[in-house]
Amino acid sequence: MKKHSFVALLLALACFAGRAEQPKLVIGAVYVGSVNDYGYNRSFHDALAQVARDLPGVKILEAENVPESATVEGIMEGMIQQGAKLIFPTSFGYAASARKVAKRHKDVAFEYAGDGDASRNFGVFFGSTQIAWYPMGVAAGRMTKTNKLGFVMGMPIGYALGNVNAFQMGARSVNKNVQTIVVVTGGWADKAKEAGAANALIDQGCDVVGMHVDSPATVIQTVEARGGMSIGFQSLEARALAPKGWLTGLGFTWTPFFTKIAQDVLNNRFRGEAVYQGLGGMVAVAPFGKAVPPDVQKLVNDAAKKVAGGFSPFVGPVKDNKGNIVLPPGASVGADQMGSLNWYVEGVVGKVR
Amino acid sequence: MTTPLVLGVLAGAVLSGTSLLYATLGETLAERSGIVNLGLEGVLLMGASVGFAVTAVTGNPWLGLAAAALTGGLANGLFGWLVVTRKANQLASGLAMMFFGFGVSALVGAPHVGAVITGLPKWRPAWLGALPWVSASTLFNYDLLTWLALPVALLVWWLLFKTRWGLGVRAVGESPAAAFASGRNPALMQFQALGLGGMLGGVAGAHLSLSLTLTWAEYMTAGRGFIAIALVIFSKWNPLRAVVGALLFGGAEALQLQLQARGSLISPFILEMMPYLLTLLVLLAWGGSRRLAAPAGLGRTFFGSD
Amino acid sequence: MSELALRPFLRQALRHTLVAVAALAMFAAILLVAGKDPLRAAADTCRSMTTVYGFSELLVRMTPLLLTAVAVALPSRLGLINVGGEGQLYMGAWLATAGALWFPAAPRWVLLPLVAAMGFLGGALWAAIPGVLRAMKLVNETIATLLLNYVAPLIVSYSIFGPWKAPGSSAYPESPAYPDAALLPAFFDTRVHGGLLLALAALLAYWILVDKTRWGLQMRAIGGNAEAAQRLGIPVAVFLVAGLALGGGMAGLAGMGEAMGVHGRLRQGLSPGFGFTGFLIAWLAGGRPLGILFMAFLFAIITAAGDTLQITQGLPFSVVNILLAMVLFIVLARRPGGAR
Repeated sequence: MKKHSFVALLLALACFAGRAEQPKLVIGAVYVGSVNDYGYNRSFHDALAQVARDLPGVKILEAENVPESATVEGIMEGMIQQGAKLIFPTSFGYAASARKVAKRHKDVAFEYAGDGDASRNFGVFFGSTQIAWYPMGVAAGRMTKTNKLGFVMGMPIGYALGNVNAFQMGARSVNKNVQTIVVVTGGWADKAKEAGAANALIDQGCDVVGMHVDSPATVIQTVEARGGMSIGFQSLEARALAPKGWLTGLGFTWTPFFTKIAQDVLNNRFRGEAVYQGLGGMVAVAPFGKAVPPDVQKLVNDAAKKVAGGFSPFVGPVKDNKGNIVLPPGASVGADQMGSLNWYVEGVVGKVR
Repeated sequence: MTTPLVLGVLAGAVLSGTSLLYATLGETLAERSGIVNLGLEGVLLMGASVGFAVTAVTGNPWLGLAAAALTGGLANGLFGWLVVTRKANQLASGLAMMFFGFGVSALVGAPHVGAVITGLPKWRPAWLGALPWVSASTLFNYDLLTWLALPVALLVWWLLFKTRWGLGVRAVGESPAAAFASGRNPALMQFQALGLGGMLGGVAGAHLSLSLTLTWAEYMTAGRGFIAIALVIFSKWNPLRAVVGALLFGGAEALQLQLQARGSLISPFILEMMPYLLTLLVLLAWGGSRRLAAPAGLGRTFFGSD
Repeated sequence: MSELALRPFLRQALRHTLVAVAALAMFAAILLVAGKDPLRAAADTCRSMTTVYGFSELLVRMTPLLLTAVAVALPSRLGLINVGGEGQLYMGAWLATAGALWFPAAPRWVLLPLVAAMGFLGGALWAAIPGVLRAMKLVNETIATLLLNYVAPLIVSYSIFGPWKAPGSSAYPESPAYPDAALLPAFFDTRVHGGLLLALAALLAYWILVDKTRWGLQMRAIGGNAEAAQRLGIPVAVFLVAGLALGGGMAGLAGMGEAMGVHGRLRQGLSPGFGFTGFLIAWLAGGRPLGILFMAFLFAIITAAGDTLQITQGLPFSVVNILLAMVLFIVLARRPGGAR
């Protein structure tokens, strides 16, 4: 009996514990994986850490490895309870829960990494990587010796399909015989499958491999061990993993956008809107690896400049890999429509579903 | 030059099957002594995370491997204390170990996610590497664990069937009471089997993090522990048959990925179901004879009230 | 065993509470070792649960746990071991989704019961497969239900990436939103939904079935000694299949509840281990209905605490599994001679 009451007393005391000193702005971020993944989650973490360094009085709350299920709602509510006034749900699958919480807390700003409609306190943003993969394709198309490019994909969502399509189209623009083979692992972070997928692609003769999974680490390391070349994605830091085979890559540079949003919230000027930025904004090209000769670098930089200047390969006529015309002449796919893409361009080996 | 599908699948099967085999061998030892460890998944995870953490901190994958083996042995020791000493329900204890493994591995691994480690080194004998298709593939380019997989399976078989100790373990698995009556110490033997089996389980987990993926991520074993438990039954509690089983299941997973790389038209999700359905089918087909091959002591736990 | 005698009931409640306290103490020790502050953790957790929303979240978490626990407890009366709650849950959600998508125009008083029935059916059929295999003495149901756990979510994934993919701008793989008529009503602007009532009704039905009917008596006879029961003329095989199917149906209802009550559409990640947690709850409670209620509530508190600890202490959520394991270790180590 005595043990009970002692513990009960402790708990009661704990419940009335005093609160810590107040920061000016508490930002909450929810991640589907770990921030140390050299990839997707790390890009957000690094940007927020920079914001916390640049703006005074900003405190960051982070929750990692939160699955895309019902629990994320509780996490966001918990952060709001801890005083968060700006929430970043960073994974596609958090949409429904985030919107529900946003409706319930009109005084809290949300910036959701994905797509959909924006509302007063719910902003939507993402880096348009799709077209940015075009210069990546240029690099791969020129560097490949087998004319086979590989792509490891987590889940066949519209954005990932768009990435592959732009990649193939960029490669095709400098190499008429190239094809891209896609292997889907079924999840954004299944490391064992990513290793298996990379091996399967190399077995099939691919010598340049790109990917769209949360962390490029496993794929890059597997490809490097087999002597292949890799194109990174999600985080600019990934090049450290492949000293020999790294060609180039894409990474997210969220810091300027996040800083602006945080300042808006601090000054009560937040207004939710849909913001997509491509190369030059939220997306940047990673430095080239040693393997890339200067003439290829120039080609890639030129392509990147074209893209930053508004060029898009997603302009009709475009055929898919089954021979049908999916973009008639004059039609195009805008950044906000990438999410509903459901075809592979010709030259891609793979099945959409 | 592309690797033919068969070789590609074989290569993938060996890589993927190594950890499966070690896990299966470990569980075979335990079940031969009459104990089912449903928490094998947790043991694998603990081995993977401790192995990775120690390697990340010391820079030496061999230390990591040793730590993983030790962790697995200790984990199974804890499990043994529950089911042998305290005589607790094996299934519930197993699931408790599984949850324990989830949590401990997450805690141990969290500070090291994203660490870049030097994994277990790989070797390939030059004469093998010169063969036509082999050089471009991963065939025979293995780390120590994969090279030792077959010998270890033989060793476990020899231990179980050719030594006095193995006879004792199997006797305990058939009937602890009879074993006791013939002068053996059932509890001790079960602890020994569990300890050794646990070490193999820890090694199985370490192969995933120190060789196959060179990373740590929560839940990265993705159900391998349960597949191993099914494999034990599939192989009729025989370590040598476990080799075939591990190749088969590693192969099924590799087949799915290799088929995709060849533009297969089957949905990746349907392909992913293959290993599990295959296990069920095999169990179904060989079901009858299987039960007679099971250590009788597993009877109450596994086969309920018959 | 009847729950009407008061003193054994109080004793049980006391035992459960002691277990909880002991486990919390061990967990606090682990937090200390990990460099975290257990008192602060307790304070944060308390605070998060004493709001209306916080408490309602406990009920939301409890709902599927009650059902998956019954999914284990019911077949256990027959001596059957059902570790397939995960898969049965997913198949319940899947079949319920089929119902909602095939009859979108039906009025609520038709659609909601239909969808609930299909949820039950989905889980029941999925469990019947291992049931038949077991009754025919072909495959042990522990393994069969375990394996099917992995197949079911793949069927769901296949469906939402394929035939049931929601049209529209969202890139995320999920089914179209259910028609309003198929949704379980929510209460008071919280996430507590009608599934809770279903769960409580299921718990009640389970108690009545096992304790108060002749079938329950026969089930327990089989659980005690199947051979003797067979000789007494009880059709053991039929009971085995029906028992597993009924249990699976309960888990299927949990899936339907999560889909129709919490998410509003079919998507991946419906269950963060509800099936396995249910197994542990049922086992801890000894299969007794009130124990299941208590344990489900306790587990809801623990998992909610895990979320709070993630945010405030930077602990990986999975650490909460250690606490769960501790609870189990204590109970397992205390019962000498093996329970059932």
